[in-house]
Amino acid sequence: MSTIDKKQAEEFIESVITQYEEKTYKDRKTHIEVVEPGQEKCAVKSNRKSRPGVITMRGCAYAGAKGVVWGPIKDIINVSHGPVGCGQYSWSSRRNYYNGTTGVDSFGTMQFTSDFQEKDIVFGGDAMLRELLREANQLFPLNRGLSVLSECPIGLIGDDIEAVSREISKEIGKPVIPCRCEGFRGVSQSLGHHIANDTIRDWIYEKDLEGQKFEKGPYDVALIGDYNIGGDIWSSRKILEDMGLNLVAQSTGDSTFSELANVAQAKVVLIHCYRSMNYISRYIEEKYNVPWLEFNFFGPTQIIKSMRKIAEMFDDKIKEKTEKVIAEKYQPYFDKIVSKFKPRLEGKKAMLFVGGLRPRHTMPAFHDLGVEIMLTGYEFAHGDDYQRTLEYVNETTIIVDDMSEFEMDNFLEKYKPDLFGSGIKEKYQTQKSGIPFRQMHSWDYSGPYHGVEGFAVFARDMDMAINGSVWKNIKAPWKA
Amino acid sequence: MGKLRQIAFYGKGGIGKSTTSQNTISALAEMGKKIMIVGCDPKADSTRLILHSKAQATIMELAAEKGSVEDLELDEVLKEGFLGVKCVESGGPEPGVGCAGRGVITAINFLEEEGAYEDELDFVSYDVLGDVVCGGFAMPIREGKAQEIYIVASGEMMAMYAANNISKGILKYANSGGVRLAGLICNERKTDREDELISELARRINTQRIHFVPRDNVVQHAELRRMTVIEYDSKCKQADEYRALANKINDNKMFNIPTPLTMDELEGLLMEFGIIQEDDAEVGKAKNA
Amino acid sequence: MSKDIKIKDHITLFNDERFSEMFDRKRELYENAATKEEVAKTLEWTLGEEYKDLNFKREHLVINPLKSCQPLGALYAAIGIDDTMPYVHGSQGCAAYFRSHFCRHFKEPFPAVSDSMTEDAAVFGGHNNMYVGLDNVYKLYKPGMVAICTSCMSEVIGDDLNNFVKNAKEQGKIPADFPTAYAHTPSFVGSHINGYDNMMLSLVSQIGEKTGEVKDRINVILGFDTYIGNFREIKRILGLFGVDYILISDPSYNLDSPTDGHYKMFNGGTKLEDLKDAPNSKATLLLQKYSTAKTREYMEKEWGHPVKVVNPFGIKGSDDLMMAIAELTGKEIPTEIENERGRFIDAIGDSYFWVHGKSFSLNADPDYAIGLTRFVMELGGDIKHVLLTNGSKDWEAEIKGILAEYPQGKDAEVYANKDMWHFRSLLATDPSDFIIGNTFAKYLMRDTGIPLIRIGFPLFDRQFLHRYPTIGYMGGLNLLNWIVNTILDETDRKTMYTTSYDVIR
Repeated sequence: MSTIDKKQAEEFIESVITQYEEKTYKDRKTHIEVVEPGQEKCAVKSNRKSRPGVITMRGCAYAGAKGVVWGPIKDIINVSHGPVGCGQYSWSSRRNYYNGTTGVDSFGTMQFTSDFQEKDIVFGGDAMLRELLREANQLFPLNRGLSVLSECPIGLIGDDIEAVSREISKEIGKPVIPCRCEGFRGVSQSLGHHIANDTIRDWIYEKDLEGQKFEKGPYDVALIGDYNIGGDIWSSRKILEDMGLNLVAQSTGDSTFSELANVAQAKVVLIHCYRSMNYISRYIEEKYNVPWLEFNFFGPTQIIKSMRKIAEMFDDKIKEKTEKVIAEKYQPYFDKIVSKFKPRLEGKKAMLFVGGLRPRHTMPAFHDLGVEIMLTGYEFAHGDDYQRTLEYVNETTIIVDDMSEFEMDNFLEKYKPDLFGSGIKEKYQTQKSGIPFRQMHSWDYSGPYHGVEGFAVFARDMDMAINGSVWKNIKAPWKA
Repeated sequence: MGKLRQIAFYGKGGIGKSTTSQNTISALAEMGKKIMIVGCDPKADSTRLILHSKAQATIMELAAEKGSVEDLELDEVLKEGFLGVKCVESGGPEPGVGCAGRGVITAINFLEEEGAYEDELDFVSYDVLGDVVCGGFAMPIREGKAQEIYIVASGEMMAMYAANNISKGILKYANSGGVRLAGLICNERKTDREDELISELARRINTQRIHFVPRDNVVQHAELRRMTVIEYDSKCKQADEYRALANKINDNKMFNIPTPLTMDELEGLLMEFGIIQEDDAEVGKAKNA
Repeated sequence: MSKDIKIKDHITLFNDERFSEMFDRKRELYENAATKEEVAKTLEWTLGEEYKDLNFKREHLVINPLKSCQPLGALYAAIGIDDTMPYVHGSQGCAAYFRSHFCRHFKEPFPAVSDSMTEDAAVFGGHNNMYVGLDNVYKLYKPGMVAICTSCMSEVIGDDLNNFVKNAKEQGKIPADFPTAYAHTPSFVGSHINGYDNMMLSLVSQIGEKTGEVKDRINVILGFDTYIGNFREIKRILGLFGVDYILISDPSYNLDSPTDGHYKMFNGGTKLEDLKDAPNSKATLLLQKYSTAKTREYMEKEWGHPVKVVNPFGIKGSDDLMMAIAELTGKEIPTEIENERGRFIDAIGDSYFWVHGKSFSLNADPDYAIGLTRFVMELGGDIKHVLLTNGSKDWEAEIKGILAEYPQGKDAEVYANKDMWHFRSLLATDPSDFIIGNTFAKYLMRDTGIPLIRIGFPLFDRQFLHRYPTIGYMGGLNLLNWIVNTILDETDRKTMYTTSYDVIR
């Protein structure tokens, strides 16, 4: 039976959002919908501006471009161009794991900034940027390229970072990629993803830059849109290799410039985070005629479904191998995990509010463990993401776009879920309410959650959260 | 010492704003007033007639050289010129780069923090580039800064557009702070019915035409020597014009919240004076067509 | 019964051979990676003298800096006022970053709102965003006050907070008498400590109301101090003195609130009426200098009462603190405090021989750097390098003066405006025995093998450290604990397979 009653929920939502100022009320009304299983259209409006004065969970275009797309590429020096803060707050906070020697051939957990000062604002920062890029290249000779990720002031004062990048690239013989991801552009991280994808298109593919040459084979695939949080892409890579596929490029988790340039060399491009990298896969399909396929490596149901879908793109050898590994290795392992954790989680109710993809990707994994989702939504998803979320709706569910802290607080108090999965800013507030929480951006310092091993960690963590003893001790015994 | 008065000169680029302001300030200095000029134009030409210099070392240039504004000392940028008038220039970037508006904000913050206003001053005068194009160029009219704004204008159409625009900028700040429009200075360009037109414009935007400064070649002769007329030829008629303006400013009590005109109203005024034709048929028509 | 499944997560999973083989294959075939020899050679070069010279020649690129931007500090000052909503006038990403940064350090929620300025606001100004923003804040969160700071975006376009706030009141978005403090906090000037100072100045100057009456009470401001325990410790100390006081900005309520089943956005802090009344106290005591410079200047000039700054760390610092309280209030130093001093000295007497003669390199914010440097020298430790990114000339002169007072400071090198990549070169070419620093200094520990004693901000990778006090004698005991016991842990690690692996130390 559903926990949410559609009519009651709608009344409750109305009572919450009427408290906004008038325009905000009108706007928020279009971002929330109570949906039923089997419903065909999701009416939720998305990818619109957040209203001023409302605590939104969203970040900015810079966060999307630096934090998500460019940041994880390990052998590139990503320069945060502007004042010190943006680079500082996004330093080493996303857990994009990589192999390499930091400061020598890899730079993922380093904070490079131009530390803009007042004089740079007034006189412009182009001359300084030129020198800065030279310094970076000199101090880190094994870098395979540099990127310039611009912060708000750069766009406002009209610096020409493209001209500087072109000049220095020519001078040092390495790619220098200017990325105009100023935080005031667009409405969320999402535009940052798009801008970053466009820079990959314009500054790598349109310039025909190449990666390491490799011997091509019929089973070459590329994996994009996996940022290797806590090792996600590694457990995913393992599955693809077990299927007999050859992963020639991955991006952008534990990725290199070479792999980024080689994505188009694969036979098929597999995309995990559709929201952040669909732009480049569409472009590659158009220009290089390489098809792309969205897949989902969260939880047994979707892993097995995705493996079969991927295998369909190849010959019988791959299909057979896929079935064999499922039957002999994965299914028995999944069964063990499910039989251990499902009895502990069956019937629990969760709310999920994350980025632009994970709610619909992780809902089936929760379902595999017997956990139902009563409310979900995204910070920065678009209409197609909401549409596709409906596929995974098993019971009456509240869908919220760009949920504000105010709405979240009200939903948590009203429905008291057994688990809320969201981000760091939401974690401690939720726990104060006595509700178990997992960070679903950073995997709460755990992971991987992707792939076969990842599902075991995911199941363990959700059990640890929901059944943690501390949540039974919230109320003092002398309080009724 | 009376209360410090902070005034600002605004006006369309090329209108003769810096010349008018420096000559007027020289005349005020002659009257024994203690004055500081804060040039708020990246061209940094607001003080050259007082200092007899080509260009003064500006706050922003020196700050850039030293690394940051914090490393700068007041006496490195504050110079004394003719009759002890203190001069400082905010400075800023070359055209086409950076953010000149931010330079104005930085410079004024620096002066306040360094106590430049705490001296025994009667007047602080801001000379501001062209128009209130962005937040930075409105810095001199924020609360606690210039309370009296003088707009230098002429009978040319664009100068009047600019004057009207500037009064819109003043209006924005007038309700929350003490800034007021103190008058239009008509700097003669010898257009038709110029004085009459500016006086009428002044009336309609709720201010006064405070003075009509006639055109005189002596101004140019003085400028070639990087001097004000007051200093170059103190006995000439033009010097007396600036003295008259200085006196009016000194005695001025008419500080109003402006009532800027709409585009239609302004064009209506220009039509009344025959500056533009009423007939739409003329619009977009070349002379020989 | 079947054996339980062993679940491996990232900490051990990827050590399995099947993964390491996969990693090697990827590196060799697809990464266009440098050869192992090239990497080894380059690594060695980056740790050498030649590289150090090159590294110190760098003028523009900043790598791993030890500072954040102004609004972060402004929000921290604001969160210490009761019933107050911190508000960022600018793009929303900034507020998201500040909140995450604090959440990661305090493991606490951090409410802060932004008015989500976007491209149109960049062109037309952010006034409309602020009108709607204040309207929503007032309606939704019902705060007693709003404390507004700016992001670099609104600073570049030159938005005027004073003007906007007045207009918002005139338009009835917030009541005319609704308390609002606002501070311009450009991210491209100074660092988070200046932002703290700017907001503190706005709080005391815009909300404070001087009546002319002088009350038998002192104000205390801790500065950008992220040790929540210190706010409780100073209150305890002042309680022992029996002194009436106002702690201006006390985040110990909002950033250490109880978990009891109901989230509350506002949990307490400096009362608004106390903030209003602060100018009428008879004196003000500041426990940091470099994060309160403008505030101090204002108070001295406008409030005209004695303003005293102490650096309350270690023996001398704590002595200074107690004597300053006595001086400003005319009260005797209580016996209990004297006993605490005695216990602190006792503990140092028991343990200093583990510290004496060891060398230390430090990084911290300016005031902490001074306090920790002096305390280490009081314990007999030698100072090798003190490196800051947000130090000033005044700071440099002050710390050099303190170093000169102790034989332990004679070989110390001081850097006021360098970053942690410079620090790496220094430690690689001229190592010390220990590093004292924040979480990010763990990268220095990795690259140089020098053990890290975690003191400072941010501390992301350890729990609870911020709950303890670091000031006064009792706070000193915590510092001593962290320093001495890290040295002992390290001694155990080094001697584990030798006969020196002692049970009694």
